[in-house]
Amino acid sequence: MPPMPPMGPQKGGPGPRHAARVNMEKPQNGTQTLKKLMVYIGKNKYLFISLIAVMLIITLLNLAAPSIQQVAIDYITIDGDNTSVNFKKLIQTLILLAAVYIASSIFTYLQGIFSARLSQYTVKTMRHDLFARLVKLPIKYFDTHNHGDLMSRMTNDVENISTTISQSIGSLISGVLTILGSFIIMLTYSPLLTLISLSTIVLTIIVSTIMTKFMRKYFLQQQILLGKINGQVEETVTGYKTVAAYSKEKDSIEHFEEMSNELRTCGIKAQICGGVMGPLMNCISNFGFVLIAAFGGWFCMKGWITIGTIQAFILYSKQFSRPINEIANQYANIQTAIAGAERIFEVMESEPEVDNGKADFTSENVKGDIVFKDVNFSYVEGDPVLKGLNLDVKSGQKIAIVGATGSGKTTIVNLLTRFYNINSGQITIDGVDLYDVPKDELRKSIAIVLQDTVLFSGTVEDNIKYGKEDANREQIKRAAAHANADEFIERLPNGYDTELSEGGSNLSQGQRQLLSIARAVLADPKILILDEATSSVDTRTEMHIQSAMVSLMKNRTSLIIAHRLSTIRDADKIVVINDGVVAESGNHDELIKKKGVYYNLYQTQFAGNKT
Amino acid sequence: MAKKSSNLGLVRYLKPYMKFALLTPLTMVGEVMVDLWQPKLMSQIVDDGVLGNDMDLIIRTGIIMMILIILGGACGVGSSALGGCASQGFSRDLRCDVYKKVMSLSFEQTDKFTTGSLVTRLTTDITAIQQLVDFGLRGFVRDVILFVGGIIMMLTLNVRFGLVLVVALPIETIFVLLIMKKVNPLYSIVAKRLDRVNSVMQENVTGSRVVKAYVRENYESGRFNDANESLTASNLHVQQLIAILQPLLMIIMNASVIAVIWIGGWQVEAKAMQVGQVMAAITYLTQVLNGIMMLANMFQTVSRASASATRINEVLETEPVIKDAQSDAKCTEKGTVSLKNVSFTYAGSGGRPVLSNVSLDIKSGENIAILGATGSGKTSLINLIPRFYDPIEGDVYVDGVNVKEFKLEDLRSRIGVVLQKSELFSGSVADNIRWGKKDATDEEIIAAAQIAQADEFVSAMPNGYDDIIAEKGASLSGGQKQRLSVSRAVIKKPEIIIFDDSTSALDLGTEARLRQGLHESLKGATIITIAQRIASVKDCDRIAVLDHGRLADCDTHENLMKNCEVYRDIYSSQVKTSGGEV
Repeated sequence: MPPMPPMGPQKGGPGPRHAARVNMEKPQNGTQTLKKLMVYIGKNKYLFISLIAVMLIITLLNLAAPSIQQVAIDYITIDGDNTSVNFKKLIQTLILLAAVYIASSIFTYLQGIFSARLSQYTVKTMRHDLFARLVKLPIKYFDTHNHGDLMSRMTNDVENISTTISQSIGSLISGVLTILGSFIIMLTYSPLLTLISLSTIVLTIIVSTIMTKFMRKYFLQQQILLGKINGQVEETVTGYKTVAAYSKEKDSIEHFEEMSNELRTCGIKAQICGGVMGPLMNCISNFGFVLIAAFGGWFCMKGWITIGTIQAFILYSKQFSRPINEIANQYANIQTAIAGAERIFEVMESEPEVDNGKADFTSENVKGDIVFKDVNFSYVEGDPVLKGLNLDVKSGQKIAIVGATGSGKTTIVNLLTRFYNINSGQITIDGVDLYDVPKDELRKSIAIVLQDTVLFSGTVEDNIKYGKEDANREQIKRAAAHANADEFIERLPNGYDTELSEGGSNLSQGQRQLLSIARAVLADPKILILDEATSSVDTRTEMHIQSAMVSLMKNRTSLIIAHRLSTIRDADKIVVINDGVVAESGNHDELIKKKGVYYNLYQTQFAGNKT
Repeated sequence: MAKKSSNLGLVRYLKPYMKFALLTPLTMVGEVMVDLWQPKLMSQIVDDGVLGNDMDLIIRTGIIMMILIILGGACGVGSSALGGCASQGFSRDLRCDVYKKVMSLSFEQTDKFTTGSLVTRLTTDITAIQQLVDFGLRGFVRDVILFVGGIIMMLTLNVRFGLVLVVALPIETIFVLLIMKKVNPLYSIVAKRLDRVNSVMQENVTGSRVVKAYVRENYESGRFNDANESLTASNLHVQQLIAILQPLLMIIMNASVIAVIWIGGWQVEAKAMQVGQVMAAITYLTQVLNGIMMLANMFQTVSRASASATRINEVLETEPVIKDAQSDAKCTEKGTVSLKNVSFTYAGSGGRPVLSNVSLDIKSGENIAILGATGSGKTSLINLIPRFYDPIEGDVYVDGVNVKEFKLEDLRSRIGVVLQKSELFSGSVADNIRWGKKDATDEEIIAAAQIAQADEFVSAMPNGYDDIIAEKGASLSGGQKQRLSVSRAVIKKPEIIIFDDSTSALDLGTEARLRQGLHESLKGATIITIAQRIASVKDCDRIAVLDHGRLADCDTHENLMKNCEVYRDIYSSQVKTSGGEV
């Protein structure tokens, strides 16, 4: 692991983590987010258009049904002209009514299907895109962002969008259609009165814009807090052993309760905000009604319009207020979805790893010459880790990198694999500048074994196969034998098909390291990097691995970072890193003879008991 | 059906908020009343005001209506505020309780649930239940009032119309139950698939280095897409099933409308009824219909929440394997550890013993090492001391008392464990060290870091001890993380301190200095060390040698060289490779 000073808010300008926090707590432009969200919904264009068409038909049918009902009622009315109920006509009308009802049901079903599909396809694409960006993000991003929070974006935030699309988009569309329809009809009755009722819409827009600006922070904060809770759970469950060892359960619970309280307060605020919208819109639309009634009455007195016009007009203006209220009721949902979308787009818009490698370079043809020339690097500006490092590794050499902890050994690995990018200088591989090499080809030619082993859910075999997907059992077993893992794997209840448990409680740390080594061996790369790969393995097993690796390392460039003398003694070249530069290099005997830094290290550190 | 009742059992979390929960629908009634009253005022404005050309009336009634609407609106806001207090309080309590439960489970149990699933249960699932509570308090009550009110009004109009309802309502109920039966199990599948999405996500976020190093982005994307596809498929399945419900209910209710008109026609013909009554019946029927629609909409929330409740109950009902003792332990010794005929097996490992019949007495203040091959059971052995696991057979004693008779907190406060894998938490360097002692002063923290050989590199950080540690300690080297973990244990000043191969990333020089510092600062403490290098443990009072889960021998270096073959093997392997020096 790199001796990388944290990326927190510290000297030398704000780190990414700090920047991210600032961004997150201040809501960005909501309209922008909404637009981007609409682009996603619009990706299923035909579905969206079909949904609108279906909604249009439903709206029309819903308008038609009451008038047919009225006709039916007329047939059963007995007054001056009709002395008895006209059953023949009544049946005809009722059949028509039934047809309308059946059609309306069918289209409602279609609407349900369409909006379910629209919402599911939309969020599927969003999840897909979010993950696609996630795997392209640089390591630095993962080192500086809370993992649980990232997970929350994928689940909680996406779920909110899905619910909103499936539940709110129908009322949104029918609302807009109804408003549009009644607006046109109103216009034909009286443009003047329409103008007055238009003021209601303007008022609605103004009020909701102001309210939205004012309230958005609660909705966003709610999602951020949910992310934090996610983070706390993820962190304490992953590190549960340490939590238990230090009896930190109570403190963790306390901390969790604090966040839950915050979430509650924020949730109540958001809910009240959402709850205000409905009544507020109701007020506005009723105010509009009174306004129309008053002006209508006045116009009527002046003789500008007839009473019939006002009557019809008022009927339609009522149509107007219903959808507005309905949209207002969906307000909280929509705001939560937008807040979630904002967090999702934030990840999607993070800069991915750069890959401008265009050189003709394939992992099959790599020789493995590696050169570092005057490489400078710092994780945090102003705090250099490598200061003009020079390193020359010939193809097929076995190089050991030694130096005190934190001297920059792992940084070399981080740079060679392009997990991080150098500040200045040059790294070449087979004479080609590292940044001209296609990133994937570069990484395919390198296999690294890290000190912190990473195993994935799945079987033992799946995990070894991670380095080479198409490997057969034979090859897997051979790689495991090289890593000295075969023996313990065979003793597992289901051998290579044993499922690994998440916390790895069925494997010891050393066994996990052996699996990682087997993975690297199977990958069969030209360049092998072992970063403290056997630190938890006992010395006898390590010795076995080493002898097995001798043949394997032939014709391969290998970089080994280790503290144990046993692992580095027979390296072709030992490179001593001190304070960001190479202090000296040579083989063990040369360096001992030289009586320089290595000699001292050797005397005081590798053979620590001899001081 | 037993499960169902336990899901309803979660209602107990609403108890502290009963006041809010009861007031919410009551204030809701205020809003509904205004809603019902408003059309009357409106028609008054139109009929008497506009048509009667009475401007005064329009304005007067208009003002009254506005006041009423504001009052009703206030009731509405009040009910959403009260409902918010109830549902948010409910979900907070439930969430905290579930988390508390998680914090009381043993490792095997949390492993079984998996981190990804526990995370979704604590967020997504609880949110789903919270939504139901909120909808239930506000929407449900309102819908039921409209629904029941509509039925009663219809029956008072003409009992014959009741016949229509007698036919329609049971059919509707049957449909709802049928679909609910089909949809309910699907929601638990949806939840499982969401877990899967979450787990793939977690693995990729935490294992990003390996994913990138092996250029497996495409493979991982494929894995994620599978999870995503299957989640989408089951979500779609559920929603499309639910989509049937609304039109189905609609058509039955609309058939009732037709039936009412038809019956009404005969009644009018027979002069048993006025047309106005038929019209009113249709109005009420529409109201009942709307009520049913709203209930059908809520149905999705109900099924979803019920699946979530099952998952929550699964956690809440898990009995912790390792239980606290009831009373305080009465210790007779200080700093002693004793294992008596201990055997141990991990659950799910097919019964293969990791430790078999191990007995070991560690004296107070002793400096003992444990040595053995990879997988020989070293970590499993020390895991039994702070009771991370319980042995299958035999007993473990600390300070002369069986560990099962300790309160866990008491037991673990006596023991400092530095784990093999250094786990650091979000916060500053000082925060992490303070894990060992909550109220530690800055001086104590620095002193502990000095002993652990961490002070030097921490001081060199831009903000020293206040430096924020990056996610999972990614900003630190392996050796640095280990030294912080040691500091955390040292500051605790425990009677017994256990190092589980926790200095493996340190060079021997640093390690030697660390050991010396430890011995000086933790005078009298019992020190148990797991190590790989004989050089690190040679000077210990005794060295316990484990071989395939059995205790091969436990003695001093010199005696072991004489008597223990396994030890000699290890020794020679280290001599050979290091050229004579150990």
